[in-house]
Amino acid sequence: MMSTQFPWLTVLILLPLVAALPIPLLPNKYGRTVRWYTLSAGLIEFSLMLYAFWQNYDLNTPGFQMVESYPWIPQIGLNWSLAVDGLSMPLVILSGLVTTLALLASWQIKDKPRLFYCLMLVMYSAQIGVFAAQDMLLFFLMWELELVPVYLLIANWGGQNRLYAATKFILYTAAGSIFILVAAFAMAFYGGDFTFDMQALGDKSYSVAFELVMYGAFLLAFGVKLPIFPLHTWLPDAHSEAPAPVSMILAGVLLKMAGYGLLRMNMEMLSDAHPYFAPVLAILGVVNIVYASLTAFAQDNLKRRMAYSSIAHMGFVLIGIASFTTLGVSGALLQMISHGLIAAALFFLSGVTYERTHTLSMKKLGGMAKQMPTVFALFTAGSMASLALPGMSGFVGELSIFLGFTSSDAYSTTFKAVVVVLAAAGVILSPIYLLSMLRQVFYGDASEAVAIPGLTDAKPREAFIALCLLIPIIGIGLYPKLATQTYDATTVALTTQARDGLSTIARQPMLDIELPFMAPTVLGTEAQAHLVD
Amino acid sequence: MDSLYQFAWLIPTLPLLGAMVLGIGLISYGKLTTQLRSLSAIFIVSLIGASMVLSFGLLWSQIQGHEAFTLYIDWASAGDFHLAMGYTIDHLAALMLVIVTTVAFLVMIYTDGYMAHDPGYVRFYAYLSLFSSSMLGLVISPNLVQVYVFWELVGMCSYLLIGFWYDRKAAADACQKAFVANRVGDFGLLLGILALYWATGSFEFNVVGERLHELVELGSLSGALAGFFAILVFLGPVAKSAQFPLHVWLPDAMEGPTPISALIHAATMVAAGVFLLARMFPMFEALPTATDIVAWTGAFTAFMGASIAITQNDIKKGLAYSTMSQLGYMVMAMGAGAYGAGLFHLMTHAYFKAMLFLCSGSVIHGMEEVVGHNPVYAQDMRLMGGLRKYMPVTAFTFLVGTLAICGIPPFAGFWSKDEILGSTFQTSPALWAVGFITAGITAFYMFRMYFMTFEGEFRGKDETVKQQLKTEQLQGMGLAFGPGAMNPKELTADYPAEDEAHDDHDHHHSDEPHESPISMTLPLMVLAIPSVLVGLVGTPFGNYFEAFIHPPGEVVEAVTGLGISPEFEWGEFLTMAGSSVGIGLIGITLAVLMYLRKQIDPAAIAERIQPLYQLSLNKWYIDDIYEVAFIKGSRRLAKQVLEVDIRIVDGLVNLAGFVTLVTGEGLKYLENGRAQFYALIVFGAVLGLVLVSGIT
Repeated sequence: MMSTQFPWLTVLILLPLVAALPIPLLPNKYGRTVRWYTLSAGLIEFSLMLYAFWQNYDLNTPGFQMVESYPWIPQIGLNWSLAVDGLSMPLVILSGLVTTLALLASWQIKDKPRLFYCLMLVMYSAQIGVFAAQDMLLFFLMWELELVPVYLLIANWGGQNRLYAATKFILYTAAGSIFILVAAFAMAFYGGDFTFDMQALGDKSYSVAFELVMYGAFLLAFGVKLPIFPLHTWLPDAHSEAPAPVSMILAGVLLKMAGYGLLRMNMEMLSDAHPYFAPVLAILGVVNIVYASLTAFAQDNLKRRMAYSSIAHMGFVLIGIASFTTLGVSGALLQMISHGLIAAALFFLSGVTYERTHTLSMKKLGGMAKQMPTVFALFTAGSMASLALPGMSGFVGELSIFLGFTSSDAYSTTFKAVVVVLAAAGVILSPIYLLSMLRQVFYGDASEAVAIPGLTDAKPREAFIALCLLIPIIGIGLYPKLATQTYDATTVALTTQARDGLSTIARQPMLDIELPFMAPTVLGTEAQAHLVD
Repeated sequence: MDSLYQFAWLIPTLPLLGAMVLGIGLISYGKLTTQLRSLSAIFIVSLIGASMVLSFGLLWSQIQGHEAFTLYIDWASAGDFHLAMGYTIDHLAALMLVIVTTVAFLVMIYTDGYMAHDPGYVRFYAYLSLFSSSMLGLVISPNLVQVYVFWELVGMCSYLLIGFWYDRKAAADACQKAFVANRVGDFGLLLGILALYWATGSFEFNVVGERLHELVELGSLSGALAGFFAILVFLGPVAKSAQFPLHVWLPDAMEGPTPISALIHAATMVAAGVFLLARMFPMFEALPTATDIVAWTGAFTAFMGASIAITQNDIKKGLAYSTMSQLGYMVMAMGAGAYGAGLFHLMTHAYFKAMLFLCSGSVIHGMEEVVGHNPVYAQDMRLMGGLRKYMPVTAFTFLVGTLAICGIPPFAGFWSKDEILGSTFQTSPALWAVGFITAGITAFYMFRMYFMTFEGEFRGKDETVKQQLKTEQLQGMGLAFGPGAMNPKELTADYPAEDEAHDDHDHHHSDEPHESPISMTLPLMVLAIPSVLVGLVGTPFGNYFEAFIHPPGEVVEAVTGLGISPEFEWGEFLTMAGSSVGIGLIGITLAVLMYLRKQIDPAAIAERIQPLYQLSLNKWYIDDIYEVAFIKGSRRLAKQVLEVDIRIVDGLVNLAGFVTLVTGEGLKYLENGRAQFYALIVFGAVLGLVLVSGIT
């Protein structure tokens, strides 16, 4: 096929970067040219992306596809090598969708629009780069490339505390990402042949102790980004101070980089260490869910409340990754996609509200439904999706994770029961903080709220953005296979690999660590007796 | 005939289509869609009408003996795991389809009159249609996961509809309370489903029951654990069917417009719990401890609801507690193993309670002409009285409903309630006694309601009563509405304003109420027919109902001809029926003496038994307890966790960050220094290399 020769992924990564180059030269008398230019660049990029995957991506192949590899700086072993598989392809599309919509949502940026749009386009490239990189060093570079625009975007266009939030963000994530670099070097040097190629690194056989240390390093790096308790405190600051389009990308895509990293590095490449850490992940996931749900409930700031709700939702991803079942891993990936859409929608809508009211304090808001019925309807739909209402994508993700973890044979019954019960407490907590948010902002008598003259309902552009996010949310919720079949082959292969790691451990317990494990049993109706207390 | 089954998926899909069309219209062309009132109404009503016709077709075919039909599609999959969704049409599903579609159809016609002046008319139809669709999807679910899906969806519709008048604070609080209380139940249901899947590897109702039974018999699963799983599942019905201790949302749900109180909070959604118990009957059957808990929860709820209903003055709240009490009967029947009796009562109750609620709506509609659009005045029975003169159709149909719920033969409620009492007596006389006493209380409070509303003098212009209501309301607000933190100042400022606002668009005050328009009275008259007659399909001497609806696996002989079946025992029937009619009559007599002929002064009695009176008036103080224990408790906990987050977690991690940062100049100096950032990377890389060399 001709198309295999065409370097689609390189084009996809470079196109936004190249498009950003002429922006400083554009005439910008009224700020319109730039935004139309950027939006068209984003749309072209997104359509090319869909076309490229439609033409070249085979859903039934579990391994890497559309592989490209060119030596870049051979002296240090850096290769420009790219590929996608089921883990990365859906996330590339997610970042394309969310970033393009974020560009459309940036309509109101009047201050230094050229710089703003340049940075957005750089971020666009970096996100795709992170998901497509097959070289550890390239991965790290892309990861860092995405940090700088976010820092600048928050520091320049953010809310009142923007400098504090931006600095905290850059310090936390930069400190975290050092561990990626360290681990990359350590793995590259391990055992003689020096390489940064992910597949080669994954094929190397490391000692278990080494894998454990590497696993820990990656976990720290991704734990900051995901975020995992107690490394999460940068997130509420960054998300609430960032301008709405940046919050959309932060919550919609950047958090997923960490989830992707956990799946790709920790679970796939370090599958021998995964069983040792998996119970820890499950416990951290539960802590994320319960802790962040409670803190969310105590927040008065709209965006901070949603930021904490993101932390809670990412807790489910951790539990899914820890489950050692195809269903759980599939659920984790689905939860990431779903949360990407839902969080983007909610952050966008809170931006819409903020633009009109100039406050995010829920105490000052109230009774907005009468003046903004469309925003109210869209916000309600977004909140319902976020609290995992069936018929929307969040439910399918959480249900798969619950079912996956319940049917997992890697843990003792008691451990599973405790994790599932505590995680299910999120089912009660999420409506408490989301619905009370709706109640405080939209319900009630408008007279109690801040008087806002000329409060207008959502414009068609705004309703369009929200609907572009809600339609896939509902689509996946009604028929989950729309999303799951794009990655099913890969998650099955990935789980098989992780389970190999599990059985290695079951055969030879190498470390004297007390783990809540039991011997794997075959799931089936006849074998139930083994599973039962 | 099979083609009818092939197209049964249309039954929930048609209303969904309607809701989607209106919903998209409202979001994209809001102004235009809001104006297309009659077009929207006709569109929605004809869709549900089509569903109703299909449902009747299916029921007819099932009665003719067509075998059950199930269709699956692969819905979600991951590797080897496949989860199927689809629909199953059997006797129970066909019956439920007919109940839901007929009530929904009539309620939608009624809505046209009731909501005629409401600006949210079209939105209301969209919600109603969405609800009907979810409810119909629920009753044809072939497995537990699909039940859970629609279970939550009906809950969401209920949330949207309770909070329909979103500018009312009470409605805003009530809808959140309803959703959260239901989520507590769903939490149990979800865990129950997961636990059952873990134990049996299946989501199918029958398979789960059978395998669980086998596992317990083989001894590989302890009976206690299996019972615990069943109780977890039961938590779902406890919340949805407003059973103690999760009943608190139902009375508050009356903040929604009356048509949805009739459709959702009386006839269909709240009965979903009983429906699920019926579907899970094969599982419960084998677990006696669990069924005992189910039965006693039901019995206790029946009694508690009735005891609270006695002192309610709000007509809708009174009916709400009555619904709770009647649902208690059904749950008790399910727990006592009276499968057919419980579902029979579900059916009769759906019709007569929907009618009673619609009557109350008609009364409120009439009252609003006199006292204005204020729910506090329009719904309080102390301002009513003598309405029979002004609203004869409403009064007559309300009387029919009252007689039905009191269990007076030959009205529908008599046959179903009597059957429940009869079957519980065989299982446990103690349960029967609770149900028996409750029957007496039911008769009393229903006639109290009827007399206060329709007999005597009209009190709608009585300013002293109004003043009293206003003070009561202001006093009560502080405690009564849970989730909303109230401060008294807010209230005094808020409420008079609301009155004025309503008075403004309400200048056509008249001195006396009028009968409601035909679109409202017609559904009442139609519903009166089943309220009288539907009980006759389940008489003890020719129980066609139980021949049709019986637990899976149980063989019930078909009723042949119209004759009285040979094993029927007159003596037993007469004692049971006689005693329950007897206690009903005692209740009615008391109500007549107290509220019609005023020979006994209710206030004096209340004074005598002050503690009991207060207990009932304050709904057993359960809302107050929850307010302190859960609502304030969870707020406090959340605040404390946030404190910990800000002060300790953030502080510690920042501190750790500072220690690592040998640059150590503190956050504020780093604001514009990218140099330090690169220093940090270099530092980290060095650290890393040291680490690497240490390991290899």
